[in-house]
Amino acid sequence: MIILKYLLLIFLGVTAYLAISFKEILISIIFLSIFSIVLTALYLIHNAPDVALAEAVIGAGLNTAIFMTVISQIRADEDCHCRKDD
Amino acid sequence: MINHIVFIFIFLLGFYAILVKKSLIKMVIGLNIMEGAIFYWFIAITDRGGIIPIVQSTQVAFNLNDPIPQALILTGIVIGASTSAFLLTLIIELNKFTDSTNPDQLGGIIED
Amino acid sequence: MSRIKHISIVIILAFLGLIMLLDLNKIPNQFEYANSIYHHITNNAVGETGSLNFVTAILYDYRAYDSMGESTIIFGAVSGIVLLLSRKTLPVSSHGLSFIVKRTYGMLTPFIFLFSVYIIAHGHLSPGGGFQGGVILGAISIIFSIVYGSEFDYKRYTPTTKTLLETSGALLFIGIGLIGIIYSGSFLSNLNILNSEPGSLLSAGSIPFINLGIGFKIGAGLAIIFYSMIQKTFKEEASL
Repeated sequence: MIILKYLLLIFLGVTAYLAISFKEILISIIFLSIFSIVLTALYLIHNAPDVALAEAVIGAGLNTAIFMTVISQIRADEDCHCRKDD
Repeated sequence: MINHIVFIFIFLLGFYAILVKKSLIKMVIGLNIMEGAIFYWFIAITDRGGIIPIVQSTQVAFNLNDPIPQALILTGIVIGASTSAFLLTLIIELNKFTDSTNPDQLGGIIED
Repeated sequence: MSRIKHISIVIILAFLGLIMLLDLNKIPNQFEYANSIYHHITNNAVGETGSLNFVTAILYDYRAYDSMGESTIIFGAVSGIVLLLSRKTLPVSSHGLSFIVKRTYGMLTPFIFLFSVYIIAHGHLSPGGGFQGGVILGAISIIFSIVYGSEFDYKRYTPTTKTLLETSGALLFIGIGLIGIIYSGSFLSNLNILNSEPGSLLSAGSIPFINLGIGFKIGAGLAIIFYSMIQKTFKEEASL
């Protein structure tokens, strides 16, 4: 269990770094969602199931939907230069 | 000790994003990362190594984890989600006036 | 110039991190105190509230006033977002996703609803409660907007319905608090009517009803937030 905790902590740092270091905002949002999922696993390791459930539902589910909505709103308004997907 | 180091690293990473990044949405992402770091740290340092704070029956159990920090953090997560939704709404409205989410180009609003 | 600024910011942050690390190591060990609130709650919470989940017991009984302030904050956020993004246009929908996704989600919807109601109703017995189940309730409406297009969501659950649900949830919460004044003399005190033995569904006094009120309030509030954010995008896509 302690090894799993250290692995998850390393993964938490890596996803946090990747979430702020990418230039494309969409990838950053996906990494923020992964950050929340890793945080959920860490809460479960620390025996806090209520907080884990709230973080999984809100951090990984709802926040991602709201961020995606904002991205689509802003890209509908301005002709975005960083649209490389499709 | 490892909890302190990870907390400080992720917290300062989010703070760095707020200071340096050229996009307001990136700043909100940095704010969310700071929130996550604080919540994790608070749960981790109040962990007594006990069991989940739910009992099976009415008999009093011992060696439970502390339920009070968990309740506080649960409140904080919901409030963090609603405040970040409000911040993103402000960014949408700002984007209508300035056609940009770069904080360096927001001077036009004041000069008009 | 930009590089110098960048490097100086990193150096200052590293210095700040060092100070924080030296400071955090001086936190006293709070596990050694013999008469802390932790001991009171773990010894007496089941007898005083009847809730087996101690986090729910704290959120909706010992600190229920705090939860009411939190739902007020969410109400403020919803009001601000609707005020800022009100466009007074009927939303013109996109056509949604493909047939397979629509059918699959149509079959899955009752189970998601059942899961959310389970989480809300068993908040005092198992992990979960009003906040988590309420967000799942809001997610049903959000996935409706994505999968079937926002016009379907507008016809099934109009904004008036969502506002009604949110307001009724808040009124249920405050009403239970006011009944507490009449019943035992203090706001939001635990009503001991409808109290069977701890461990059954209708135990724990007023905690399940407060859970229900908070669940409807949070779910409807988040659905309103998402709905008012999504409106203009679909209108522009349809006009292209």
